[in-house]
Amino acid sequence: MSVKIEVGAGGIPHNQVLIYGLVGSLVLIYLTYLNTYFQTQYFAFFGGLAAIAALIWGTDTIKHLCSYGLGTGVPSAGMIALGSGVVAALFGATTGIFAPIVTIIIAAIIGAVAGLMANHVVRMDIPVMIVSLIELAIVGAMTVLGLATMACGTFEFLGMITGTVSFLGFTVQTYETSVIGGSIIAVIFMLGAIAIQHSFNACLGPGEQQDRTLMLAAECGFLSMIAVAIISFAFIGTYAAFIALVISIIGWLYTYTKYIALSKRDAYAWLDAQPIMEPKGGA
Amino acid sequence: MSALGGPKQTGGVQSPTAMGIVLSIVLIIVALGLAYFLVQMAGVIALVGIIIGGVLVAFGVHFVPVGGAPAAMGQSPGIATGVAMLAAGAGLAGLFGGAWAAPFGLAVALAGGAVGGGLLMAITCTMVNVIYIFGMGIPAASGKVDKDPITGDTFPEYKSQGTEGHGLPFISWVGGVVGGALGGLGGTLIYLELLDIYQAQLPVLLNATVEQIAPVAISLAGIFAVGMFLINAVLAAYNITGTIEGPHDPKFKRFPRAIIAAAVASAVAGFFAIALLELVGVF
Repeated sequence: MSVKIEVGAGGIPHNQVLIYGLVGSLVLIYLTYLNTYFQTQYFAFFGGLAAIAALIWGTDTIKHLCSYGLGTGVPSAGMIALGSGVVAALFGATTGIFAPIVTIIIAAIIGAVAGLMANHVVRMDIPVMIVSLIELAIVGAMTVLGLATMACGTFEFLGMITGTVSFLGFTVQTYETSVIGGSIIAVIFMLGAIAIQHSFNACLGPGEQQDRTLMLAAECGFLSMIAVAIISFAFIGTYAAFIALVISIIGWLYTYTKYIALSKRDAYAWLDAQPIMEPKGGA
Repeated sequence: MSALGGPKQTGGVQSPTAMGIVLSIVLIIVALGLAYFLVQMAGVIALVGIIIGGVLVAFGVHFVPVGGAPAAMGQSPGIATGVAMLAAGAGLAGLFGGAWAAPFGLAVALAGGAVGGGLLMAITCTMVNVIYIFGMGIPAASGKVDKDPITGDTFPEYKSQGTEGHGLPFISWVGGVVGGALGGLGGTLIYLELLDIYQAQLPVLLNATVEQIAPVAISLAGIFAVGMFLINAVLAAYNITGTIEGPHDPKFKRFPRAIIAAAVASAVAGFFAIALLELVGVF
């Protein structure tokens, strides 16, 4: 069933997207450390922005990998990215302030093993396979780590497994009301997976344009960020979560309008169809 | 096939490269050695369980009749979606079944996982055939074999011209259920091994009782089981490259490659999952 998937030429070179995505997500995720530094939670939303930087990079990687015709559908690349990413992200989170860097290293190891297996044992023999799976594992890991950080305000493991609950005026520490203890990590996993696998799957084909595909990736990222911002009301302060929600909604509205504008630009023609009006008093 | 390269279309099965085999053996031994070094014998036993679980998942995926996009148009036999999606559905259903039965002991939990995965595939396969036969009006006919190996039904007189077969013959239905059961079994095994490790380590680390850390342990084991399940399912999907009809399909003979790849990928990802709690509090 291997079908060649058409991808548009031109646009920003992949290596440039790679550098922007890697450095951007790393810097943005470290900005959430301002929370620990200033003892606040207002900087949690930088985690979501880090995830979006990684998602844009990951979408460009998927575009390169899938142009070889995997025969298994575009979403499978997103699933292996998040599958290896979640292991790396949670392992990395246990290393305190080094979490984002360790996450990248561990994800690269798991991705390299998966890529070597795919090329040398399963014999896919795709030239970009190993590099792509390394990149995708890092993207998946940064997405999970970023969104988890956004939900609880810290990328440190103990912060992810402990939460507080108020009971009759007493504040009790508990493991149930936390990002991992409450299994919010599973929701984050799926929010990240949907965001990474959708954009190229939706935009592929003749006339695919890089800026449109990447804009859709950012739009999907902001959509996931809205959901995580709502989740974060349970774990961080109301004002901090509200700031995250407002930023996600503004980001989503901006990227969505831009994406629609780009779709209209690339379309041959479009009709702004209005709803069919019912005549008053019945027909 | 893509002009850029990609898998070569050869008649036989390409065997893994020598480098791939050597690398696989080395990586498995290194992972087992590191697991022994960090978590002693319990770590080795858990890692062996995870490797067996990953291999079962990859093997099970080969049984599942995957039709892909052509099946949605009734032009090839199987269920009309990708390998990764079907495997994830069956495996996660199995994992839920197994996780629910976890307190009843290993044997019951594994059986629960297998029944959960098999049941999901049985319902899916049955409903697929209901839609094919009563909705689309097409009979079940395989394109790869002339006779159903189980029922002895013949196919050529029912197969439409220009198609690779259509519908879901009985052998594919059986394959789907077996694949779902194996996937559920493997996913549950990974989950139970990780749960044992975390339930032993977390109370010491956090100075809490087993009941208090249960949400964290269950959530961590669950999300890692899902992650490793998806890595193995996608590697198996890459091995199949596209569509497969079930155990009677010539592509089924490729499964040894996927088993090697899954064993190595599970060993490496499983090692990081087992070693997760070793670094907490170090930095």
